[in-house]
Amino acid sequence: METRRLGPFAWEVPVGTVDGMRVPGVVFASDELFRKAVDDRAVLQVANVATLPGIVTASLAMPDIHWGYGFPIGGVAATDPHAGGVISPGGVGFDIACGVRLLRSHLDWASDVRPVVRELVDALGVRVPRGVGTKGRMALSRADVVRVLREGVRFPLSRGIGDERDAALCEDGGVLADASPDDVSDRAIERGRSQLGSLGSGNHFLEVQVVDEVVDPAAARVLGLFEGQVCVMLHSGSRGLGHQVCTDHVKAMDGLMRRLGLEVPDRQLACVPLDHEAAGSYLGAMNAAANFARANRHVLADAAREAFQHVLRRSAVDLGLALVYDVAHNLAKLEEHAVGGRRRLLCVHRKGATRAFGPGHAEVPAPYRSIGQPVLIPGSMGTASYVLVGTEEAAERSFSSTCHGAGRAMSRTQAKKVMRGADLARSLEAEGIELAPAHLAQLSEEAPYAYKDVAEVVRACEGAGLTRIVARLRPVGVVKG
Amino acid sequence: MTAPAGFELLEHTADIGIRAWGPDTSGALTQATLALAELMGIRVSGPGTRRRIRVTARDLPGLLVALLDELLWIHESEGAGFVALDVIGLSERNLVAELETAPAPAEPAGIGVKAATYHQLAVEPRADGGVEARVFLDV
Repeated sequence: METRRLGPFAWEVPVGTVDGMRVPGVVFASDELFRKAVDDRAVLQVANVATLPGIVTASLAMPDIHWGYGFPIGGVAATDPHAGGVISPGGVGFDIACGVRLLRSHLDWASDVRPVVRELVDALGVRVPRGVGTKGRMALSRADVVRVLREGVRFPLSRGIGDERDAALCEDGGVLADASPDDVSDRAIERGRSQLGSLGSGNHFLEVQVVDEVVDPAAARVLGLFEGQVCVMLHSGSRGLGHQVCTDHVKAMDGLMRRLGLEVPDRQLACVPLDHEAAGSYLGAMNAAANFARANRHVLADAAREAFQHVLRRSAVDLGLALVYDVAHNLAKLEEHAVGGRRRLLCVHRKGATRAFGPGHAEVPAPYRSIGQPVLIPGSMGTASYVLVGTEEAAERSFSSTCHGAGRAMSRTQAKKVMRGADLARSLEAEGIELAPAHLAQLSEEAPYAYKDVAEVVRACEGAGLTRIVARLRPVGVVKG
Repeated sequence: MTAPAGFELLEHTADIGIRAWGPDTSGALTQATLALAELMGIRVSGPGTRRRIRVTARDLPGLLVALLDELLWIHESEGAGFVALDVIGLSERNLVAELETAPAPAEPAGIGVKAATYHQLAVEPRADGGVEARVFLDV
C-alpha cells in the first residue's frame, strides 16, 4: 500500500488506494504505530471510510487505530449534511457512547488506601455487577427505561443516586437533548430494563488508580488532581440496549442502501443521507442510548462511592469522590467546524476516538474552559491510564478528536495462548495490583501484552498536536468486566 | 479432508469471527449456531424445548446476521442456551427454523458477544459442493 508521510506524526493514505475514495485518509501515528496499523489492515479501513458520501477533508484515524468492522477502531469521519453527507451507525459502533468516567478523591494512596486496598477491591467487586448480560444495580420498568433514554443522568439523580455536580461535569451535562425513545425498539428497551448500573464484559473495567505523575501542574490543579491521590476510573457503555439499537438501525439502513443507490466497500459501513428519515430515526435512538450509557456510568460511580464509604468508614464529604469528567468515545455528533475557511455544521463520527475541544470552547464545562476539554484515556489492564486536555490545533487537524485507549495489538485467542488467566492474575498481583475479575479464564484476553503501549499512543497524540498530557495514573485495584 | 460440516473461529485483532460450513446453506447456518454457543461458553442444563423462529433480511448473508442476532436476543432475554437448529424453510430473504433451547442458568464462561456484523460477511459455495458461512462478531 502506498502511503506518504505528512509530518512526524501524520501519514496520508492517498485517494485511489481503494476505488471510490472522495477524500484522502490521514492517520496520526508514530512510525511504529503506523507500521502496526498497516500490518493490521486497519489502514485499508481508513481508505474504505473515505468513500462515504459527503465526507469532508479526510478520513482520519487516531494513533490507537486497529482493525475494526467497517470503520477502523480509532476512526473519525465528518460528513456534511448539505453536501449529501451520510450517517453510518457502524461509525459509532454497537456500544453506543461507550466511554470513561474519572472520579478524584481527597484520599492519599500511601496513608489512606494502601492498607485496605484488598478489602476495597473486594467491596467494589461485590457492588459492581459485571460479565455478560449481568443484571445491573437498578431494575427498571419499561416507563423508567424511557425516562433514562430522555433524561440521562437526571433519572438516577431523581432517585437520589449520585450528586448534582456529577451532571454538571459530564459531557453534555449528562443528557443529550435530541433523544427519541420512540426510535428505540421494544427489544432494546427490554434489554435496558435489567442492565442499568452494570459494567459489561470484555475491556470494560472499574479501577482504583493513583496519580503517578503530574506532567502539567497548572492543568492538574484546575482538574483537582495531585500526585499520590487516589482516583476511580470506570469504562463502560450502553450495554445490551445500545447493542440492540445499533443492530436494528444497521439492518434498516442495509435494507435501504440499494433503493437509495448507495454503495460502500464494506457492508458494515451501511449509511443513509443525513436528510433521510432513517438518519433522523437513528440519531434520535443513538442519543437515547447515549443517555443510557451516561446514566449507567453515573450509577456505577455511585457503587464505587458506596464501597469506599463502607471500607474507609468515612462520610462522602470526607472522601471527596467527585467527578472530574465523563466522556464518550463511540458517538456521532452534529458539531460546527471550520472547513475551507467557513463554519459548517458537520456530523462527526468517532469510533474509538474521543472528542477533544480546545481551551475556550463553549462545550467545555466552565471550570475547565481555560485548559481545554479533559480527555480520559484508559490503559490496558495493569498499565497506566492518562488524563489529557484538548488543543486549539485539534480543531483544524482532527475535527477536535484524539485517541481513546491503548488499542489492541493481538487477538483474544492469541492473547490466551501467551498466558493463562490465573498466571496473569498472579503476575499482576506480584506487581501490587489487586484484582476482582469476572472470569479468571478470560482474564488473559485483556492482558497488557495484547495491547499497544498506551504511553506511545498518548505521546503520538501530543506530537500530532491533538491533545496535551496532564497526568498519568497507575492502577492499584482492578474490577474487571 | 475437511469434514462435511463444522466450524472454526477466525482471528480478528479486536473481535472474533466464525467460519461455519455444511453440505448446504441450512447445514452451514446450523454450524454457525453451534459455533456461537461454543465461543460464548454457554452451558445448558435441564430439558430442551423447541420453538419456531423466523428472521428476514435483504439477502442470504443478511439472514446469517439476523439469525445470530436472534440467538443473542433469546440468550440475553431468557437466559436460554441454544443447542440445535433445524432449518425448515429457507429463501433468499426468509429463514424459518426449529430452535432447541435449554436453560443456561450459569454466567457464560466464554466471550461476551455484543452483535453480529456485516463486515466481510459471506455465504458462498465450497469447492466440495457444500456451503460456507463467514461472519464477524463484535465482542
